[in-house]
Amino acid sequence: MSNPSEINGGAAVAMVGKDCVAIASDLRLGLQSVGISGDFEKIFEYNGVYLALTGLATDVQTLSIDFRKKHSLYELREERRMEPQTMANLVSSTLYSKRFGPYFVGPLVAGLNSSTSKPYICSFDSIGCIEHANDFVVVGTASDQLYGICESLYEPNLEPEDLFETISQALMSAVDRDALSGWGGVVYIIEKDKVTKRYLKTRQD
Amino acid sequence: MEHHQANWGRPRNDVYGEYDFAIHNAGSHDEPTTRTLQPTVTGSSVIGIKFDKGVILAADTLASYGSLRRFVDEQRLFQVGDQTVVGISGDVSDMQNIQDTLDQLEIEANYDADGYPGPTAPSIHMYLRRLLYYQRSRMDPLWNSILVAGFKNDEPYLAYVDLLGVTYQSGCLATGFGNYLAIPLLRKLVDNDGDEKNVTYEQARKAIEEAMKVLFYRDGRATDTYHVAVITKEAGVQIEKTKCENMSWKFASQIKGFGTQKE
Amino acid sequence: MPIEHSFNPYGDSSGGSTLAIAGKDFAILAGDTRHSTGYSIDSRNESQIHSVGDGLLVSPNGFSADARAFVDDVHNDIIWYHHKHNKKLAISSCARSIMHTLYRRRFFPYYVSPILVGIEPDGTGAVYSFDPVGSYEREASRAAGHASELLVPFLDNQVRKANQVDPETGKPLAQHDLDLETALQLVKDAFAGAAERRIQVGDWLEIAVVTKDGHKVERYPLRRD
Repeated sequence: MSNPSEINGGAAVAMVGKDCVAIASDLRLGLQSVGISGDFEKIFEYNGVYLALTGLATDVQTLSIDFRKKHSLYELREERRMEPQTMANLVSSTLYSKRFGPYFVGPLVAGLNSSTSKPYICSFDSIGCIEHANDFVVVGTASDQLYGICESLYEPNLEPEDLFETISQALMSAVDRDALSGWGGVVYIIEKDKVTKRYLKTRQD
Repeated sequence: MEHHQANWGRPRNDVYGEYDFAIHNAGSHDEPTTRTLQPTVTGSSVIGIKFDKGVILAADTLASYGSLRRFVDEQRLFQVGDQTVVGISGDVSDMQNIQDTLDQLEIEANYDADGYPGPTAPSIHMYLRRLLYYQRSRMDPLWNSILVAGFKNDEPYLAYVDLLGVTYQSGCLATGFGNYLAIPLLRKLVDNDGDEKNVTYEQARKAIEEAMKVLFYRDGRATDTYHVAVITKEAGVQIEKTKCENMSWKFASQIKGFGTQKE
Repeated sequence: MPIEHSFNPYGDSSGGSTLAIAGKDFAILAGDTRHSTGYSIDSRNESQIHSVGDGLLVSPNGFSADARAFVDDVHNDIIWYHHKHNKKLAISSCARSIMHTLYRRRFFPYYVSPILVGIEPDGTGAVYSFDPVGSYEREASRAAGHASELLVPFLDNQVRKANQVDPETGKPLAQHDLDLETALQLVKDAFAGAAERRIQVGDWLEIAVVTKDGHKVERYPLRRD
């Protein structure tokens, strides 16, 4: 109970493919070792930009709503879509504004640039430090497991279907070795003018 | 004997009278047992590097009592057998105890006078590993970090052992501050296993001298006089005492931000 | 309140990681050769794979002072077994002996998570893994050490085929025996990934392949930073 980031459990991963990105998370919500829910989705969509929030569930819900508000106000004021990069900076500044009493979350941002269609992914720590990558980013209680398997399974320039297989295998194998993650998964494959959302059946232990 | 499970094995009270708990503290005095929980008088770094024909070891002559320069002429490199040198940092009283133990080991090896070559560097290292690991397992450690240098099957040998019984071998090794200050300089010469084959005595000696100079510059518990042991197949062990030379203290005036200095 | 002081007999000096895979007629034990204490690299060339006799290999994985003492114990036990019984020690018996070696120190444990690798009397490759106080089981694969969390999911997925289904039938892929070449490639890929993300892993990868004829060790470079 001492570490707020490890009470509810959960993990997420994002990967870059050829003209596409993928983002995936598990579906578990728990209270320490007790599983509470198997349909707790941790990926939120903001008009084509995808945000995964792992960590303390109350902060996940609070922030997802906060970002909904900020995203909507941005699009009303600017009269244009918010780019993934902009979303990343919004997440970063929001988290840093609570530098000395942080939200206990591990966020990921994934999306395609609305004009260039260039894939974009990044992850954050709980106080908003952005980490960019051109291959994959991972967060959550199974992050060690995800790092290990992504380093071995990932390869650049995968087609959408192959990217789906890669990210799904990585997510499932990783969460199966983390007691706090699992209970199903969800994967988004984001292409220029198509988004495919699929649910994964995994071990239920 | 008492057979009730709560007091099993004790003398029976109804036969021998009330049990005297004081016998648990049996002993000749009332002092509690004591263990080394921190070193007192200490020697700083020992550094070592292999070269094509042997090994060089160096350690300065200072034994500090906290920040006091307590003993300024303490030798911390010891010859054991005819082809091995042991360099010891850490607690000086434990060092002298180890020195006595190793002397005794050598004396007993010579009793036979059977021409057997006596303890080798790997066997001395193994002995020290078992000794230090035994003491740490008794929760009464010998508070030292030790380098053992010599030969194994005619190849240069250099190994480390410390108060926990941790050991490892490498082309260059250092204890204490030497780990941070000397190793980066020595690894320029022998980074990989086997690199020592391309390093001459002169190169290795120069690197050791530079490293001892840097240690004197930056390690507050180091001094500028030190012993150097050179171990080769041809000449055996040669230990000499030298001083840091060609030092430059120009950088000292650039150091700011503490003490009574202004700006 | 009294102030308590105590000496900590355990340290953080250790090797990086090791990994074992059992095949139909071979077994692999692989480990990196970096030895580190905290952020310091003590040595780039300290093997974690120990041959203890009778074609058996052990990697102790853990606090390196305990690791060496533990391997010495196992080695001695095999020597004494030969003196007493004048025959080879079977790997299953060695595993039980290791259990006793570890449990003997139940209340002052060896800080190690050992892996034992060899060939069973029936000719199959075997991997046994232990916890620090002696619980053990035979497995198809196992990783231990600093990068075990990174290596294990990959082994689950590639050796045990966890979560993989046949695209034709949709049925789970059956676990089948790996051939040596595939297994070696898995080991190299796994360690390249581990060395990428774990500072304690690097320098050299040693791969020992055990068959009924003994074992052979090969070395490959890993990243050195």
